[in-house]
Amino acid sequence: MSSTSNFLAEMTNSPVVVKLQHGLEYHGVLASIDGYMNVVLKDTVEMVENNKVRNYEEVFLRGNNVLYISQK
Amino acid sequence: MSDIVLPLELIDKCIGSKIWILLTTDQEFVGKLVGFDDFVNVVLEDVEEYEGDKLISKRPKMLINSRQLAMLVPSGERTSSATKQLD
Repeated sequence: MSSTSNFLAEMTNSPVVVKLQHGLEYHGVLASIDGYMNVVLKDTVEMVENNKVRNYEEVFLRGNNVLYISQK
Repeated sequence: MSDIVLPLELIDKCIGSKIWILLTTDQEFVGKLVGFDDFVNVVLEDVEEYEGDKLISKRPKMLINSRQLAMLVPSGERTSSATKQLD
């Protein structure tokens, strides 16, 4: 298993930060992810310049917009 | 022949050591290289994220999408951008 998919495997069901290319951040629990970096997050807070703007119980983020996924 | 270093071989040699990553935007990352895949999506540990010369966040572990990745610099010491120095 490559180190990238290994990373994703160990990250699922733990708190993560997903940052999009346009600067929005989503802080939530990583429910699932695929090879395109499409992501499903649960209990998510949307952050713009470190300010909370919205909450999502569940949200899908399309992989092409993802800049990074990190451990919180 | 064997002294030719392929591009990804260079990056492979950096696994376990500090690396500096520059994106096509003004964003940069410095951290320990854990690994990468065929697209050069990159996994880093103990990461510092910079926007210009400003440190904006620190994260324990991170997967960076290859899409905006422009340059990887082995040995990881981040220096100010050339444009900054020219100002």
